[in-house]
Amino acid sequence: MIKKIALIALLITVSNGFAQHYKTYDWQKKPKLHKLTDDEKEASSVAILKKTIVEYHSDEVSSEPRLYETKHTIIRVNDDNGIAQHNTVYIPMYDVKQLINVKARTISPSGKVVLLNEDNIKDVSNVEEYGDFKIFAIEGAEMNSEIEVLYTVERAFEIYGSETIQANYKIKEAEFLFITGKLMSNVKAYRTIETFEPVKIDGNKAQRLTIKDIPAMVEEEYATPKANNISVVYQCFLPDQNITQNMFWTNVSNNVGRQFFPEAVVAQAKEDTNAIVEGKSDLTTFKKAALVDIFIKSNYTIVKNNNQELSDLDYILANRSASDYGILKVYAQYLTALDVEFEIVITANRFLTKFDPEFFVPGMLRDFLIYIPSERKYIAPDRFEARIGEAPFNILGNYGLFIASDLNHYFSKIIQEDPEYSRIRRDMNISFKNDFESVTIEQDQDYFGHWAETSRAVVNLSTEQGLIEYKDYLTGSGIEDKEILSYETLNTDMNQLEYNVPFQVKTTISSEVLLEDAGDSYIFQIGLVIGTQSELYQETERINPIEMVYPNRYNYEIIVDIPEGYTVEGLESLVIDKRYIASNGKETAKFESNYKLKDNKIVITIEEFYKTHEFDLNKYEEFRDVINAASDFNKAAILFKAED
Amino acid sequence: MPKFLFFFLLVPFLCWSQDFSDEDYIYLKRHEHIKISLNDDTFNIVQNITEQGKFNSSKKLYFANESIGYSSFSEIKDIEAYTYLPEKDKKINVDYFETQQVFDNMVFYSDDEFKSFIFPAVTKGAETHLSYKRIIKEPQFLGGFNFAIHVPTKSAQLSVEFPKNVEIGYVEFNTDSISLDFTKEETANSNIYTWTAYNTEGFQGEDDSEAPMYYLPHILLYIKNYENDGKKISVSNDLSDLYRWYVSLIDQVDTSDLEEVYSITDEITSGLHSKADKAKAIFEWVQNNINYIAFGDGYGGFIPAGAAATCETRYGDCKAMSNLLYEMLNYVDIEAYRTWIGSRKKPYSYYKVPTTSVDNHMITTAIIENDTIFLDATDSYVPFGMPSSFIQTKEAFIGIDKDNYQILKVPAQQANQSVTHITSNMHLENGTLKVSEKRLLQGYDKVEFVSDYIYKKESKTEEEYLNTTLALGNNKTKYINISKTNFDNKDTPLVLEYDLDIDSYTKTIGDKIYLNLDIDRSLSSSDVDSKDRKFSKKIDYKFERHFTTNFQIPDGYKASYIPDEIAFEDPEYGFKISYELKDGIITQTKFIYIKTLSIEKQDFENWNRFIKSLQKAYKKSIILEQI
Repeated sequence: MIKKIALIALLITVSNGFAQHYKTYDWQKKPKLHKLTDDEKEASSVAILKKTIVEYHSDEVSSEPRLYETKHTIIRVNDDNGIAQHNTVYIPMYDVKQLINVKARTISPSGKVVLLNEDNIKDVSNVEEYGDFKIFAIEGAEMNSEIEVLYTVERAFEIYGSETIQANYKIKEAEFLFITGKLMSNVKAYRTIETFEPVKIDGNKAQRLTIKDIPAMVEEEYATPKANNISVVYQCFLPDQNITQNMFWTNVSNNVGRQFFPEAVVAQAKEDTNAIVEGKSDLTTFKKAALVDIFIKSNYTIVKNNNQELSDLDYILANRSASDYGILKVYAQYLTALDVEFEIVITANRFLTKFDPEFFVPGMLRDFLIYIPSERKYIAPDRFEARIGEAPFNILGNYGLFIASDLNHYFSKIIQEDPEYSRIRRDMNISFKNDFESVTIEQDQDYFGHWAETSRAVVNLSTEQGLIEYKDYLTGSGIEDKEILSYETLNTDMNQLEYNVPFQVKTTISSEVLLEDAGDSYIFQIGLVIGTQSELYQETERINPIEMVYPNRYNYEIIVDIPEGYTVEGLESLVIDKRYIASNGKETAKFESNYKLKDNKIVITIEEFYKTHEFDLNKYEEFRDVINAASDFNKAAILFKAED
Repeated sequence: MPKFLFFFLLVPFLCWSQDFSDEDYIYLKRHEHIKISLNDDTFNIVQNITEQGKFNSSKKLYFANESIGYSSFSEIKDIEAYTYLPEKDKKINVDYFETQQVFDNMVFYSDDEFKSFIFPAVTKGAETHLSYKRIIKEPQFLGGFNFAIHVPTKSAQLSVEFPKNVEIGYVEFNTDSISLDFTKEETANSNIYTWTAYNTEGFQGEDDSEAPMYYLPHILLYIKNYENDGKKISVSNDLSDLYRWYVSLIDQVDTSDLEEVYSITDEITSGLHSKADKAKAIFEWVQNNINYIAFGDGYGGFIPAGAAATCETRYGDCKAMSNLLYEMLNYVDIEAYRTWIGSRKKPYSYYKVPTTSVDNHMITTAIIENDTIFLDATDSYVPFGMPSSFIQTKEAFIGIDKDNYQILKVPAQQANQSVTHITSNMHLENGTLKVSEKRLLQGYDKVEFVSDYIYKKESKTEEEYLNTTLALGNNKTKYINISKTNFDNKDTPLVLEYDLDIDSYTKTIGDKIYLNLDIDRSLSSSDVDSKDRKFSKKIDYKFERHFTTNFQIPDGYKASYIPDEIAFEDPEYGFKISYELKDGIITQTKFIYIKTLSIEKQDFENWNRFIKSLQKAYKKSIILEQI
């Protein structure tokens, strides 16, 4: 969408006389299988070559340059999973003027070559928001064969673009060739130490990035692997247009801002806002914004299709349907009508893209937020489970372009104002029935911040099966024979007018398996009462920087009755202390559990917190120790012994 | 106004009493009227669909998203859709419809499409109104109707109007659970059958349950025959009609250029003498060399690709793979037949419904020395002789020749065909439990392990993958020296061996060590919610697991407590765990078996007794005391 609104009119009349590179670029006439190392043979698949050629070509006939994109890959497939991953090819036709050529072949281990029959290429039209595709299945693929695909498309001219280089399989050689001739260009590579070298291709000026042995991107916990792939961004424009990055950003701010900061509030918006605040007086800015957010999320639907009118204010107000972009106009109208100052934030999901203020590409501008500066709070218009509060967790930590009502812009990292926004308070009372036949656990819990938001979304929107699973989670997961005796949730309404109202849950459960008969004593698996805690593994070297979903904090108090006539042993397993000290000396994460004996009761306290969502990769082991401390606590067991 | 509309206006108001007001979105009505006309030998079939929904809250506005799917055998016409706001007495039309092609991971290419749109201005109290026509181009695909769907329906109605010279067949499924009203009406030229149900509850699936069609009250309809000039002409009268239609499609299979297929067949069977050996070699070759890629392309969804093309491209769907098997087996004189079958997701029987609704899959049936073998090469890892697990108990519709067919039930495979033997040797070293374990997996246990490992391991290391799938000991268990042998589709057991270091597992309290030998707690969380669960629990296959665990008592210690034998024995499932102490070694023998494919609702209590008893057995520790 941004692409359409941020378009800059460039009149381009420059020519160069050389032929396009794709016309001469070809694969090897006689292909041979490539040599792999033993490790590479173990992988499901390995790319021998992954090459992309982006060529801007201007000639005297057309007024704007032509844009060609060539992709050439050779992939060795070593097992069924490798074959399944690479034996279907999808060529996106979004913004493609023409598919110039496509060919594919398989080279079998015995050297037999099977060529793609072009009659088997099929068209798929209008797939979700991705547009059309040409698709085909690779013919003759078998284990240990190499699949080679080469195609060129002509794209509609676009000043900017991006390309992801790294993949979830190893790439032995990756190349990105950027041919621009006499045109001006900028290019930038992320997350690699390799740099672009200037080259001449068929007499045209070009830049080439070559990277050898790119490891497979791996899924890791507390990470954003998709956003961490090695990638390239580029821009290309006329030689006499010395466009700076700031000019691009200013252009976006002006274009976007003009559409959102209304000169006048339209009649329908006035009518709606009158209804929103009807009968309410002395509303704070926060409450006004909250009321607007609630009204829109109860009356509008956000639609992903190609209907252009979903960005038109009048249409949106009449049909109460909008695109994720169009809905901002409604917020802007309502907030303006209620005199609430706001800014528009354009940013990206940090799990998919790392927003770069230094280089403008529209592909990075994917998510919109509304920022209320006086409250330092955000509204996420397209998340219908979210209400005004701290920044959405999927944006947290990314940079954003903030556009103020005077259309000036600035960049800022999107942070969480209150580091203790998301926290859980949990009190438990534990007693034993019928001489250790069963244990009864009463729990009283408060969930704040993102925990509360997620909990409300689940209890209001989930399926029956989802509700069963959530109830299991809230009452302590992993207690196999758990019987839920009572279960009550409070403050479940998604529409809350106050900031950070906790979602509350009060439960009573009983279990027999937490207790084990050990002759004259009973073992109580007390660690399991806090629910299953997962262990963070790392046998191979950690690759991705550490990013948690959001900062959070847990404060638990567990009180265990010691039955008359019994003593307790093994309490030392309840004492755990793990801390993460950041390089600035501050304690940013901790797990600490301890106990006291008081009036025939064991009083256990647990404090665990993560004050930020980003941790230093060099201190990964420290971080892991804190994370795994909860699963260490899981293993705590105490012994009740009859007094002699 | 057509007659059927008059009919439901007469329904007494009392029926509408249940209001479902605590549900976020409901259907006030979902009506389908099918009009069948016949012109000489050509059917004209139109489904008229009318739906009216209501938002009782504004929580789930996403129900405003609507889509109408169709294939190349049908066409959608005259869509009328609008939102009605009762408070304002205002009607807002849907003014934008988009046509999109179906695209998902399961089917690589499909020509199915859908019209998608969104009801405007929905909020609490809003009503959605939709009507459209679906033109059915093939009389074989008359379809069916669900009286209950994912949200409640106040009035669900199916009616079918057809000329008097046409005979209609219909079968009701699971309608015992609702009150279904059926009426027959006659006009001058037509018969009208109408089924109506009021206030059907919303249906939501449950974990590990059978497919929804096993529970949803629904009807399947088909055209049996019609009379023309005094002659009765069959459409889907009985199975011979279905078979005739299938044969007409099979006749279109490309059987040319089979030289390469034959030459490969010769190569892989050369030196083999028995039919069983040859069939096994052919089956394994197809499993190993043809990649499964699904296509759904008009009649291509029914007609297998030619064997030569499948062989050349090395890919195909179930039809293509079964057809290649058929050609290769017959070439070496093995009696083999094309076979249609429904997977376990389909609840239907050919004997009850003689239509294509019953099946969704094709396999090859071979007869070798009087043994009937069901060959499904889409399962790349199932050993020769065993059917894929998802077709067990289903009817195989076997095409013998142009006129003859046979129906045989694919037998459920016995528990002793899917056996895993686990041997573990344990000792303590500085408080850490050290284990050497060997697993021998056979049958479906092996198939499941191999296919999960290949497709679900992703970028996890072997250690992490085993840790999350086997979940042995605790979550600090370390896996070392992992080895796998016979990681293939043969009937030899897969051997999986590894050593484990399990830290923080034993509990030392005072001078006693408490150690639980059940590092593998199979089935421990398989109990079902016997109070609230609505549907039976599905089990993929029958199996047996035999564990032998030997624990070496550390020097200076003696066993002060060894648990008694504990067992739960039912013909369909059970376990037995016993302990023995000999020469300083405690041996635990554990046997678990499941000999059923489904736990029915009436058996939930018994099943839970089994699981509870197993949970209790799993918590028994041995106690070691210093001498």
